Amino acid sequence: MDETLSTLARADGARLKAFAETLIPALGDVEVVQSRSGLVMLPMRDTAQGVAFHLGEVLMSEAHIRRSDSQGYGMRRGHDLEASMAMALVDLAMAEGVEQAACEAFCAQEAQALADADTDVLRRVEATRVNMETF
Amino acid sequence: MAYVATRGGERAIEQSERLFREEMGAFDQARVDEVKRSLPYLIDRVMGEASLYDEDLAALALAQTGGELYEAVLLLRAWRTTQPRLTVAAPVEQDGLFTHRRISAAFKDIPGGQVLGPTLDYAHRILATEVLEGGTYAPEPVEPAAHSAPAHQPAVSAWQAENDLIDLPEDDETKGNDIPDLTREPLLFPSKRAHTLQSLARAETGGVLALGYAAQRGYGQAHPTVNELRLAEAEIAVTHPDGRSFSAGRVKVSQAEVVDKKGDKLRLGYAATFGWNEVKCIAAATLDLNAPGAEKGSATEEEFFLYHTEGVESSGFCIHFKLPHYVTFQSSLDAMRDAKAKKAAKEPQMEPSSSEAVGHEKSEPAE
Repeated sequence: MDETLSTLARADGARLKAFAETLIPALGDVEVVQSRSGLVMLPMRDTAQGVAFHLGEVLMSEAHIRRSDSQGYGMRRGHDLEASMAMALVDLAMAEGVEQAACEAFCAQEAQALADADTDVLRRVEATRVNMETF
Repeated sequence: MAYVATRGGERAIEQSERLFREEMGAFDQARVDEVKRSLPYLIDRVMGEASLYDEDLAALALAQTGGELYEAVLLLRAWRTTQPRLTVAAPVEQDGLFTHRRISAAFKDIPGGQVLGPTLDYAHRILATEVLEGGTYAPEPVEPAAHSAPAHQPAVSAWQAENDLIDLPEDDETKGNDIPDLTREPLLFPSKRAHTLQSLARAETGGVLALGYAAQRGYGQAHPTVNELRLAEAEIAVTHPDGRSFSAGRVKVSQAEVVDKKGDKLRLGYAATFGWNEVKCIAAATLDLNAPGAEKGSATEEEFFLYHTEGVESSGFCIHFKLPHYVTFQSSLDAMRDAKAKKAAKEPQMEPSSSEAVGHEKSEPAE
């Protein structure tokens, strides 16, 4: 799994859009190949017989853009075309080496926020661990 | 039996829909947000049965239908048919789940231990009536542990297979659009396993519970024990155009394995669904466990439970009985009158009363 893309896909939407705005002047003209919402089918593995089956579909937003030989891509949960386009812009900027340090800093900051949120959840989950004794 | 098209009543029909919607009043984004925030488990149930994961759409459907669950699910199922399919994600694997709750009733000491997660299983069921007297219901906050629970845990069944308690087949490697899909193919019997599990994932919770409960009470061949129950978040693993795989976000899922001992090995039943709905998963896994060798027409026979727990079809069939069947009833009335006339001809001394004659005229339905 690519950690940078995974981080951008779950990054805070408002912060992602605000940061991507700052990249637009430096990126200049980009070709928009795709900007749409739609459904992604999500299969799951049955642990009893090892068969993959469809749990159902998830509403997602997708953006695919190009600049010279590089491409940027964004896919995020929900109907938010601006957020998926913002993800694609950051991805494209990193592919082109545009504002590389700022992009890496943004991704690191968002990755830390997501990790902190996960840690908070898992500490609360750990509080429900049960050690059973039989007698 | 035959049906005919009828005309008339357009104004009444329009006004009846207006009456339904008027009684709920206007609603806006704030109502949708409030539904989403305050009823997460209902949202999960609707997303599971609709087979469409999006909390905003599920909350909108609930707000628009006033909580009429069958209508809400129908709205979402209809909406999803209008949307393009962007791609098929990689299959969610058990050991990749971000786990919030994982328990086993069959084995006390499962590897990784047992975490209860969010549950009311051990709570006193006391209605918070103080709220109706102006008070506020403020739950006690969780006291987080000093360290984190493991985010990922292996399947209990994998541990059992390692200990020769269970036989597990190799993983089926079918991927992407080759995975059998009920939304594009009919459900035929014997059902493909992928169809069975997809159908149970979309099944109506109450229907699954009723049939699963029947099996649990002894109307099936196998009594279930929960081998593993899990509430978790699953990653949606998709692919960048340049080939890099990444997680495009997480969705809540629940899954259950139930187990039965026959012979010298354990046998598993399995089910999973969108959202956190463990009752549905345990009941559905019970049906899966009981399906092999079930008697034709029994509640645990696959064809029986898959057809009868498809909520949109079964509620639609039930509802259609409210629609006029005038020709059917007209022909039935004609047959009844004919039989009565023949009987009267054989018994000329029996005169029909005047009230019966009037009743005939009044009971005749309009065409």
